[in-house]
Amino acid sequence: MAEYELDCMGEACPIPLMKTEKKMETLVAGDVLVVHIDHSCAMKNVPEWARKQGFNVEVEEVDDGEWDVIIEK
Amino acid sequence: MKQFWEKISKNRYYQMVFKNPFTYITGAVLLSITQIALFAYSGNPWGVSGTFANWGAWLYELFGGSVEKWFYFSSTGAQNTLQAGILNHTGTMLNVGIIFGALVATLLASQFKIKKIKAFKQIVAAVLGGLLMGYGARLAGGCNIGALFSSIASLSLSGWVFAAFLLVGAFIGSKLLAKFFM
Repeated sequence: MAEYELDCMGEACPIPLMKTEKKMETLVAGDVLVVHIDHSCAMKNVPEWARKQGFNVEVEEVDDGEWDVIIEK
Repeated sequence: MKQFWEKISKNRYYQMVFKNPFTYITGAVLLSITQIALFAYSGNPWGVSGTFANWGAWLYELFGGSVEKWFYFSSTGAQNTLQAGILNHTGTMLNVGIIFGALVATLLASQFKIKKIKAFKQIVAAVLGGLLMGYGARLAGGCNIGALFSSIASLSLSGWVFAAFLLVGAFIGSKLLAKFFM
């Protein structure tokens, strides 16, 4: 039940999604990954991909134009 | 006052129209309607990158240059457009509108942010990519708006040919992206 963080601030699409996909591979079921993003397309395609994989996803708006995508494997 | 803004930010319709991203279908329908309206109004299909060439020509003329002898601007149509000036150019209005509209949209969603540049290679990639896209768009006679979106909407085969090679380019581009940015 470990919690990991992935800093994708300042990265444009599709880098946040590619990094998230790669990182999620290393997690085991029950682990949580928090992805920090400031690119609005990533706020759409990262949760979309994660939900398709069957993970629990929550998006939190932390500041103007900044989000945390919380993914539970 | 603060209460008022908080109330608005929780309003269902505010969230639907301004805050949350549209679905792809909503976006596609809106794009189709507005491009039909544009075609009816201006008589030309929507394009973006051709305008940049005109901007370059006007900039060059501003510094005393002349593009009259250039093959690209040799047609009467192109010369008329250049002579009418930037303020009478529909494409310029459209491109400025896109930039201004994007700013308004991000402000209305309160998602405006000046982002940090994370690495020097981002600058290199942006400049190189921009030059390649601009040059390629002029060689192809359009970008993914003029040569793809508007061509396919005009039932032109060239739009589909452009699409096929766009996929090839996107495939190579994504390989390069994974190599240099992952």
